[in-house]
Parts: sequence; C-alpha cells; structure tokens
Amino acid sequence: MVTTDNSQDIIAQRRAYNETLMQAQDKTRATWFPIALLALLILLPLLQLTGTNYNYVIHLTLYTMCYVVMASGWNILGGFAGYISLGHNVFFAVGGYVAGMLFARLGISTIILAPFAGLVCAALGYVIGLITLRVRGPSFIISSLALVMIFRIAFENWHFIGGAAGVALPANGLPVEWAKLPYYYAFLAMAAFALWASYKIKHSKFGMGLRAISVDEIKAESAGIDTRFYKVLAFALSAFFVGMAGAVWGEYLTYIRPNIFLVILISVNMVLMCILGGKGTVAGPAVGAILIIAFNEFFVATLGASTVNILATGVIMAIALIFFPLGLVGTLARHRKLPRILNWD
Amino acid sequence: MAEIIQIVVLGLALGGVYALMGSGLSLVFGVMRIVNLAHPSLIMGGAYVAYWGFRLYGIDPLIMLPVAAVILAATGVILYKLFFEREARSAKYSEMTVLLTFAVAMILEGGLATAFTNTQRVTSPEYATDAFFIGSVFIPKGQLYAGIVSLVLIGGLALFLKFSRFGYAIRATTQNREAAELLGVNVNFVGLASFAIGVGLAGAAGTLVSFVFSFYPSKHWEWIAVLMSLVVLGGMGSILGTVVASFLLSVIAAFVGYYFGATWSTLTFYIALFVVLLVRPQGLFGEKPELA
Repeated sequence: MVTTDNSQDIIAQRRAYNETLMQAQDKTRATWFPIALLALLILLPLLQLTGTNYNYVIHLTLYTMCYVVMASGWNILGGFAGYISLGHNVFFAVGGYVAGMLFARLGISTIILAPFAGLVCAALGYVIGLITLRVRGPSFIISSLALVMIFRIAFENWHFIGGAAGVALPANGLPVEWAKLPYYYAFLAMAAFALWASYKIKHSKFGMGLRAISVDEIKAESAGIDTRFYKVLAFALSAFFVGMAGAVWGEYLTYIRPNIFLVILISVNMVLMCILGGKGTVAGPAVGAILIIAFNEFFVATLGASTVNILATGVIMAIALIFFPLGLVGTLARHRKLPRILNWD
Repeated sequence: MAEIIQIVVLGLALGGVYALMGSGLSLVFGVMRIVNLAHPSLIMGGAYVAYWGFRLYGIDPLIMLPVAAVILAATGVILYKLFFEREARSAKYSEMTVLLTFAVAMILEGGLATAFTNTQRVTSPEYATDAFFIGSVFIPKGQLYAGIVSLVLIGGLALFLKFSRFGYAIRATTQNREAAELLGVNVNFVGLASFAIGVGLAGAAGTLVSFVFSFYPSKHWEWIAVLMSLVVLGGMGSILGTVVASFLLSVIAAFVGYYFGATWSTLTFYIALFVVLLVRPQGLFGEKPELA
C-alpha cells in the first residue's frame, strides 16, 4: 500500500531527476552564442563608418534575416505540426500590401505597421486554416498551391491596390549609406523575436501538442489534444511572422507588386530553408536561410542567370530530401554531433 | 442560344486536351500514390520536343507525338530510378513524394529555361489557326484535332487497362498493392511501367499543348493547380473521373471566361480544386477517401 508520504517522495525524486536532466541539457547549450551573434549583428552597420560602402553586406544580412523570420514562421506549421504549406507567400503578399497601402495613404512607417500587418495575416491565416486544415498530407499541399494561384489572380486584377503594376512607395530621405538601416534593425528585431518565439512555442504545452500532431494526429486527438484548434492556431501564428516580414520588405524595396511577393520561389525558399536546416528545430530555419542565400548568391554571381538558380535550387532540394530529410541540425543532433553553439532547442 | 452552343463547343474542345494532360497524372497517382507535381513540367518537355521538331524539320506536331511520348517515357524511367524507387518504403511516402516531385519540377523548369530561354513559344501548323463552321458556330480545328487525338489515346489506355494482362496487373496494384504482390504481381515493375506510361502521356499531351496553347518553361506553375483540380474532382486515380472532370470544368471555365473575362476563367479551376478538397475530398469517382 502506497502511503501519502511515499507518493510525495516519489514525486520529489522524479522532480529532482528531471532537474538533473534539464541541467545536463543546459550544459550542451551555449547561451552566450545567440547573444554574441545578436550583439555582432547590432554592431555590423558600424562598418559604414569606415568610409567604404558596405551596403551589399548590409543588404545580404538584411535579406537573410528577412528569410529567418519567414522560415521560422513557416516552421511553426510545417516543422512543429508537420503540415507542409507551399502557399505561405500569400501572407508575405498580404502583409506587404496591408502595410504598404497604409504607408502610401497615411504615411505611417511600415516598421510601426508591421505587427498590425502581422495580426491581419494571422486573422486571415486563421480563416484559411479553418478551411484548408480539414484535409491533410498531399491534399493540404495541393490546396496551399491553389491558394497562391487564387491570390495571384485576385491581386493582379484588383485595381484599388494597383493591379499587376503594383504601387510605388516613397523612399526614405536618408543618405544612401544609412538608408537601409531602419529596415536592417527592424528585420533584426523581428528575426530575434521569431527565434525567441519559436523556442518558447517549442517548449510550451502548445508546442508539445503540435509535435504530437506531426507524429500521429489520431493518437494526439485521442490523448485529448484539441488538434483542430492547435493546427489552426499554428497556421495563424506562422502567418503572423510571414506577414510581418512582408510588411517591411515592401517598404524596403519601395514598391509592392504581385510578381514580387506571389512568386512560387519565395514559398519554395521557406520550405527549403526549413528542410535543409532541420524541420522542427529552432536553429534549423536560421541555418537553412544562411545556406540557401549563400547558395543563391553564389549561383547568381558565378553563373549570372536566374534560370540556373531555379535548376540549382531544385537539385539542392532533391538532394536534401533524399539524403538529409532531417536537415543539417536534425541530422547532426541525431548523431549527437551538433555543436553546442547551434543547440538552440 | 447560338452563343451558348458556341461556348459549350469551345469548352468541350479544350476539355479533350485537359483530359489527356490530367490522365497521366491520375494513372501515376492511382498506381504509385505519387502526387506528381512535375507532371506539367514534363508536359512542357513534350511541347519542346514538338516545337523543335516543327521548327527545325517542319514535322507536324501530331506526327511528333509518338516521338515525344517515347522520349518522355524514357525520362520517366530515369526519374523514377533516381528519385522514387528508394522512397517507396518511407513512412511519409505520399507527402515526401509531393516535395520531391516539386523539386523535380524546379529542375525541369530551370533546365528547360536555361536551354531554351523563357521566350513564349508555339508551333503553328496550318490547322492551328483554322476552323470549321457549322452554321454560325465555329470549331477551331487545332483544338478539335487535339481533342480527338487525346480521346483516342485515353480510349486506348482504358482498353489496355481493361483487357490486357499487364492492365490487370496495373489495376490490381491500384486497388491493393500488398494483395497484388501476394498474387504474384511484380509491383515494382508495375510501378515503374505505369510511371513511364504516365510520363509518356505527359509527353503526348505536350505535343498537343504546343499548338493549342503558347508555352514557356515557367508556365507549368499555372498548370499544376489546373491539372490537380481535374484529377481531384475526378477522384485521384480514376481516369474516367479525370476525363469527365476535364470536360465539366473546361465548359464551366469557358462560361466564366465569356461572362466575366478571360482572366477569371482559370480561377474556375483553382476554386473548384478548393471546394472539392473541402466538400468531397475523394472526388466524383474516387472510392477511398484516404486523403482526407
């Protein structure tokens, strides 16, 4: 017979054991690294003071951080919950257009509008998720593709938002070496926030639920998880991040046009970054973003044609899918060879 | 009234081409459970075979059809060996193959665009711009011929599946892979052969596409969702369903195009895809709602 004291003991023992496990896990983590990285990125624009113009470096870093935000957002749905969407650039476009149109009409900077645009996208994502998350697997992927096509046709024919020609946005009046900096810091803040949020989500009950869904949805449901609500919420959250990135991206480019936002390559990039870096890990999307953008720059710089870039992206995607379905971070972690600086989970 | 007949005729004429474009996709899904997103880019490959045959040697696209079918079927064998054979044992097979075929589509698009540029192409045999007149209703010859050829091909495929021994094996594998294997069907070879046949059909469809539509490598993105809507509405794996869905949707699209403008007619397919996936994921003739 188990007495009350005894069971208390057992619980205390288990807590202590969990504590030691946590400590062991903490030891494999290098918390200083993300902080150092953040500090380095904050200080990076000081390069401009040296006299030489480092706009290209700033642009590439900014571009990478934009994709870190988007890929981390995609990862919430695609990585944690296992629902692969090829249509997330819809939210990139909606975010860009909501913030861009308000910026053009009212003159409020998109950096301030970004959270609002993100919320609009989250609401839209919630509604779309309610509809499309009724199907799973290949059907869901196909429906996400159709979504892009529908939005593309709608955006190209809606005259209020400029149709296929889009809308030009005013550039900021800063001198050329400082003009990129507001957007740079905006994307830096968003990327840091996205990574922090995906860490928090992964370690919450919600994140556990999503992982259960990705492994076996029926078992997750019978274990008492409200799978429908979880999935739709994951969809909305991922739309929020992608939409925020789109909002600032529009002002950074100084024009919004359907064929910037609603091209399939953008959603492919999001998917590819997560697969290459490691789906369902926190560091994966960031690692993937750096790799893919480095590849893209390399191909465009050496071969000079965007068609070759598409070919190369396809080849990388196929190789990653066949040989490293867990991604770089996932594969290294499985073989217990993940360097401590990349253990962000 | 004459207008309505005209719209229906134009819709049906295009429906035949769509049916052939979709049937290969449907066959491959039925047997292999591969959602082949690369199908439209393989059709593009067939279109380029027809285009260069016509451009360089003046060969009629309809004569190039078997050539394109064979070339593409060979491509299909290579693709299958490279990408899909080893994945057949993976747990998340169906989902994995969607992404893999997506990668293949990008490789094909990039390859075709690098080799032949993204210029808009079209083959122009005389019948492509000619038409028959019955009263005031006109029937474009190109689309009519394309429709007839594709119905003949689909009919041939249906007879092959229905009456040949190998057709039995393919249908048995479609119905139940394990049971077919137990009864001595070499399911791996059936998979390879039906993938090759499906891709060969894409090549044949490509030659028809080359004079019915204009094409360029990145256009396949527009076709993916169109073809998917046909296959999903018909019921994934059902070739009869795909044919019925092609005629149905292309007539509806013709009406939409007539009353609301040409840009909205393609929207018909995308919205149909959405509605079918949500209301009746197994489609018109699909039996197993396993995708839902």
